[in-house]
Amino acid sequence: MNINMKKINIILAFVCILAFTSCSEFLNVEPSNQADSSTSIQSAADAEVMINGLMRKLTSSSYLGRDFLLYGDAKGGDLTIFTAGFGGNDLYYFSHSQTSNARSGFWSVGYNCLLQANNIIANINALKAAGTTEDLDDFLGQALTVRAMIHFDLVRLYGKPYNMEKGSYGVPVVTAPVDAKARLLRNTVEEVYTQVVADLQAAAPLLPNGVNDGYINYYANQALLSRVYLYMENYSGALAAAQNVINSGKYSLYTPSKWVASWASQFGSESIFELGVYVNEADLGTSSPGCYLRRKGHGSSSINGNFMASQYWLKIMGANDVRWGVMDWDQATDDAGNYNHKGACYKYSGSINLAGDGKGSSTAVNIKVIRLSEVYLIAAEAALQTGNKAQAATYLNAISQRDPDVAAYTSSTVSVDAILLERRKELFCEGQLFHDMCRLNKTITFDDDYFGNGTTSPYRELTIDRTFYRCRLPICQDEINANPDIAAQQNPGY
Amino acid sequence: MKKFMLIVLTVLLCNIAFAQTKVTGKVTSSADGSPIPFASVVVKGTMMGVATLENGNYTLDNVPANATLIFSSIGFVDQEIAIGGRAVVNCALAPDSEALDEVMIVAYGTAKKGTYTGAASVVKQDAIKDMPSVSFEQALGGKVAGMQVTTTSGQAGSSSAIRIRGIGSMNASNEPLYVIDGVPVISGDSGQMGDYLYTTNNVMASLNPSDIASITVLKDAAASALYGSRAANGVILVNTKRGIEGKPTVSFKASVGITPSWATDNYETASVQENVNMLYMVFHDYRTSNGRTEADANAYALRQLNSKWNQFGYDFTTNGTGLYDNVNIKGRTDGVENHDGIYFNWDDAYFRTAVYQTYDVSVSGGTDKTNYYTSLSYTKDQGRVYVNEFDRISGRVNVSQKVGKAIEFTTNVAVSSTDKSGYNDTRSTTGNYFMQTRNLLWPVYWPTDYKTGDPWTARYASLAQNMLYYNDYWDNSSKTLKLSVSETLGIKFTDWLNLRSIFSYDDTRVRDHVYYSAEHFNGSSVNGSVTEMSTNDTKLVSSTTLNFNKEFGKSNVSALVGFEAERNNTDFMRASGEDLPVSALQTVATAGTLDANAYYWGNSMVSILSRAEYNYDNKYYASASYRRDGSSRLGDTSRWGNFWSVAGSWRISNEEFMKSQDVISNLRLRASYGVNGTLPSSNYGWRSLAGYSYKYMESPGGALINAADSNLSWETSYTSNVALEFGLFDNRLTGTVEYFNRDSKDLLQDVPISYITGFSSTLQNVGEINNHGVEIEIGGDIIKTSKFRWSASVNASFLKSTVTKLYDGQDIIWTDPTGGDARAYYIYREGESTLAFWGREWAGVDSKNGANIWYSNNDNADYTIDGRNVVYDFNDADETIIGNANPIAFGGINTDVEWNGISLGLNFNYKIGGDLMDGASRDVADDGYYWNRIRSAYYYNNMWTETNTSGTQPKIRGTDLEDSIERSSRHLWNASYLRLKTITLAYKIPTNVVKKVGLSGARVYFNGGNLLTFSKYKIADPEVNEYGTRGWETPIGKTYTFGIELNF
Repeated sequence: MNINMKKINIILAFVCILAFTSCSEFLNVEPSNQADSSTSIQSAADAEVMINGLMRKLTSSSYLGRDFLLYGDAKGGDLTIFTAGFGGNDLYYFSHSQTSNARSGFWSVGYNCLLQANNIIANINALKAAGTTEDLDDFLGQALTVRAMIHFDLVRLYGKPYNMEKGSYGVPVVTAPVDAKARLLRNTVEEVYTQVVADLQAAAPLLPNGVNDGYINYYANQALLSRVYLYMENYSGALAAAQNVINSGKYSLYTPSKWVASWASQFGSESIFELGVYVNEADLGTSSPGCYLRRKGHGSSSINGNFMASQYWLKIMGANDVRWGVMDWDQATDDAGNYNHKGACYKYSGSINLAGDGKGSSTAVNIKVIRLSEVYLIAAEAALQTGNKAQAATYLNAISQRDPDVAAYTSSTVSVDAILLERRKELFCEGQLFHDMCRLNKTITFDDDYFGNGTTSPYRELTIDRTFYRCRLPICQDEINANPDIAAQQNPGY
Repeated sequence: MKKFMLIVLTVLLCNIAFAQTKVTGKVTSSADGSPIPFASVVVKGTMMGVATLENGNYTLDNVPANATLIFSSIGFVDQEIAIGGRAVVNCALAPDSEALDEVMIVAYGTAKKGTYTGAASVVKQDAIKDMPSVSFEQALGGKVAGMQVTTTSGQAGSSSAIRIRGIGSMNASNEPLYVIDGVPVISGDSGQMGDYLYTTNNVMASLNPSDIASITVLKDAAASALYGSRAANGVILVNTKRGIEGKPTVSFKASVGITPSWATDNYETASVQENVNMLYMVFHDYRTSNGRTEADANAYALRQLNSKWNQFGYDFTTNGTGLYDNVNIKGRTDGVENHDGIYFNWDDAYFRTAVYQTYDVSVSGGTDKTNYYTSLSYTKDQGRVYVNEFDRISGRVNVSQKVGKAIEFTTNVAVSSTDKSGYNDTRSTTGNYFMQTRNLLWPVYWPTDYKTGDPWTARYASLAQNMLYYNDYWDNSSKTLKLSVSETLGIKFTDWLNLRSIFSYDDTRVRDHVYYSAEHFNGSSVNGSVTEMSTNDTKLVSSTTLNFNKEFGKSNVSALVGFEAERNNTDFMRASGEDLPVSALQTVATAGTLDANAYYWGNSMVSILSRAEYNYDNKYYASASYRRDGSSRLGDTSRWGNFWSVAGSWRISNEEFMKSQDVISNLRLRASYGVNGTLPSSNYGWRSLAGYSYKYMESPGGALINAADSNLSWETSYTSNVALEFGLFDNRLTGTVEYFNRDSKDLLQDVPISYITGFSSTLQNVGEINNHGVEIEIGGDIIKTSKFRWSASVNASFLKSTVTKLYDGQDIIWTDPTGGDARAYYIYREGESTLAFWGREWAGVDSKNGANIWYSNNDNADYTIDGRNVVYDFNDADETIIGNANPIAFGGINTDVEWNGISLGLNFNYKIGGDLMDGASRDVADDGYYWNRIRSAYYYNNMWTETNTSGTQPKIRGTDLEDSIERSSRHLWNASYLRLKTITLAYKIPTNVVKKVGLSGARVYFNGGNLLTFSKYKIADPEVNEYGTRGWETPIGKTYTFGIELNF
């Protein structure tokens, strides 16, 4: 009897363990760090979180976090490379092909960011349609502005300049989240620009005027619009938008004495749109743009000295230009082993002593997407092209005075070339040069003789201009595989 | 012999208390009447006994007249005969058709091999016990037909990949399910170290191979369908040891092994002189091809060499200015070290003679109520490359206790702690020491500055780092603590009905630690960094089955119904710190900047299962099984899946018409058909999700992370299997020939989608794959006498694995997921192999100019060879299918010889046909571009030059001809090989000798691993990973192990 009771108890105990829960509940296992996408934006607070995610994605190394900056200067002729085999040298060599070195990161990250922006826009519009009482305009305006910026950057990478052949292929325009099976094709350059302008214009009234560090406000929108109008040769529009920024009084140019130090702090008085790069966030460490531009071995033996200023850039810089303050020796030496080439740029290291911009790291340095100096240069060019040479000279002098030896420009000396020259000095390594050279139809000469180290590229000539087919990136093979009809729209030459 | 001595001793020691009668007799074989020598004759219930003489005769004195004798001999079935007052008791023992009646562990129970209707293979402890491998999977290679075991890396503690009957999935797992003592367990790589270093931490290495009694590999649907949705890739059942009724056995085992060298050549480098000359040629050619003069090119090349290596104490000159001029290397005398004529040997600096050691103690025994097995083991293994170490301490207690007559409790508790440290095992210029020695570390680089003698800390121009210095400035470890507890309750309600209920809890905790000091190149930019990760996998399994088994006349019916539930959870925590104040302190607590992350994920499954078996007269067998699984990895609409099988077999040899012949002792035909499945790998793949790992400016950030299909469903495999089993000449020769066909449907595919959607792919159930093949196993005793036995077995698997359907018929190009270096491209294309290499087709070297030529596979042509278009520029050639990593056949050859206690066993593994893609060869045989790399001897020796126009390797150039990023058939090789995987020589010390020192048994052995390899591919090890590729993984070595086994 005793044993029987024991048996029964044992069996009961086991049965209890077995029946620990009901089936459907047992089979519902939710992720702990992710949410269903359909419910991800329900309120302004949610929208803000998604805007943060969008800004963070913009800092991807494949886009504004690094590659877009290097692309503009390595391809524009103001950078050169020391030797083959290091990261990013395809930008200098133009060795892009459909299957390899296609730089498809611009395409994939660009469209992923566009999806994020479109998701925010669509959800906010849906909340508005449902009659939400929350104020979501700021977020909607930011998402629209980012959408415009990405389309504009992509069309500059993949399409011909607007003033070259605006009926040619630009990039596919996406203005809503699309189904996984969608296979969109390329719009014309003109159609892309039309959408870019429409988005910027739609966003402008939604955005607040106050300075909003790390995010987009009304002035960031206007600064980007002035840049876009310049490419479209809508000079009056460019001037008006630039003056909206300049005349607002929210931003001020760095004085020559403060210019160098400005790189060692975040969100300076010129920063109209600056992306935050923080430790433990988008910090790329030894793969950061700062490290790609430093002298080999400076700060870490992993630093390869990937890019340095070309001899042409070094020559345009006056001896007393304050902007030498962010330049230091690169790895080139003379026969005695002494450094002799001041081609390493430290804008993205804070200072030549690797001060960083105040976050305790020399690699977590913010990206200045557009700053007041560029808006002045845009204003100068727009004023010049609209016939107001005196005003153009005034805007240009505000920048050119950073070299005390440069004589003030006057109505008679100001020219597109003069403005371009000042652009090269001021915006060195800020990713705009190549696009400007294409926009202005200039010839680009590469510094293939640097250190005699044999950097001749088999993929391009020593000098090129925008008619060279590799000035446009190829649509990558992966896109063509998944979207076969776009093959017929490949950029000619590839 | 041993037995004889034992019995003699027993008899002598025995107290002769009730002498009554004397019995004599003869023991013979019932098969042929031949006498059986050394058969044991024991009086039942006593210690009394003798062994038969050479002629089979025996004599027993003083036996109780009413006693019963037990006759036994190896290879025969025991027989009991009552004396019944007789003085002469003869006995004819029946040969043991052991192979047929052997009991093996199968899904949710046991089965006799001869009656089982499914396809299963058993590997016993004896087959793996002498191998110096920390994990049992590595010892399984070549032992089971249809199973391929590949160990990608020679790192101590790394994981293996197992493929049973080919590849049945493109996106989900192709690994089998592991079941230990009836409980499904986690397998493969564990922990998170892979986020920092390319390395693996094999969770199966926590299981001590000495604790394993047997392993059953379930291959067809009839065998495995009872495991339902996880069984499509086969099931590996591991059965740990249990105590045997009788005196306690204490056993001690120790072995020590060394690995002094690699198993094969591995990209042996050309000499310093040859490499310097090649680099000179690169620079020289670069200049002349730019239109410069020879003199200018010579000056330029020398300037380059001097600028690189003057700082290491060398000067370079040439006598002439030509491309093929020898470069004179002279040492400089202006420093504290003179390097004239001497070079640094990085192999010696980075590699060592690795030592393996293991010690096992086990105690086992039992009574009719209780049996127990306990063990404690310690293993320490070293990789040949410095930094890599593995150790394990493990303990196990398996106890069974009967409570009353009907209830039995079995408790298995295993605890093990492993510790692994490693280094990067992928194509990393800074972290992979093996790659550095073969491709980057010129012997003219020194770890010290020749001028000052100080350590060299700057990065070498080839991008290698001086790890002799940096090894002191970083640290890593993966510590795994694994606790498994399972409680089994068995209730025998009646002779024909019993219940078995298992409740199991498995807790695996991995602690990963990575530290870089501020001195280290990885830590310098952040002033030192340290990361601690904790990964805690828990698994709860509850399974209850009710078994019915009853004879009805000549029929035997058995049935099983059951319920199973399982919950898996992984808790993950990471804390990291940067800006470390003191290099001696490697803790997050001291860091200036902190970061943390923690979250969890998991899945659960609920199942009902059933099986019915019928056997008529031991001639006709039928079985069927059904299982229904519900999984949290799928959405509401597709959560439940049904899996089933039917099977039958016919023991032809038991038919009357077979009795008249005596050649065929066993003949059986069996067949099965069934359906099982595979779950998606992702826990939440069916949900469209927003992720929140996009923190921005110290505020939370979110983003959409996937494009999901909410109807995501099971992958389903439809398998049929037909086999013929035979035994000839009293089962001296046995074998199985088996055909199988497996159609895997609804395969998950990462369907490529246009990037314009925001993502590159979406997961859908679309693909189909077919695997079919033939497996042959033949084994037997070639010679079998009482003193000498020579047995041999061969297994071969012929497998064809083909993609049969893809989304929209569109090809999918994918890369080798192993190695982290995308070393090979494959294409899934309907009608082609599941491992079809994709790339450009190399046509060799143009003997006129030494340039690479490529079959264009399009209209482009610089000229034609045998009517095929060839081009010089690979960009003009189309990519095509260039090879197939699936072999035609693979398997093992095993042979054992035993004589007087000495045994010699040889195990060969082989692979016939198939191609391998050598990712590393792209680095070591480059014809230009990467100027600072060293090249292999095979490239140098076969390089085209003006004087060697028959060279098979292209002329070295200063310009980039074949982009080394490209994948082409230039680096594709025939993958066939034959390897003597192990050789074991063992000696069982005679019992009379060991008895004198108080032992009951002793054995010493030597095991040699990977001692011989035959292959066409010579430049590195032909045993490649499951994708048929090789990169910069640590090679495997030749091991020499000595062991001793003592029983008390």
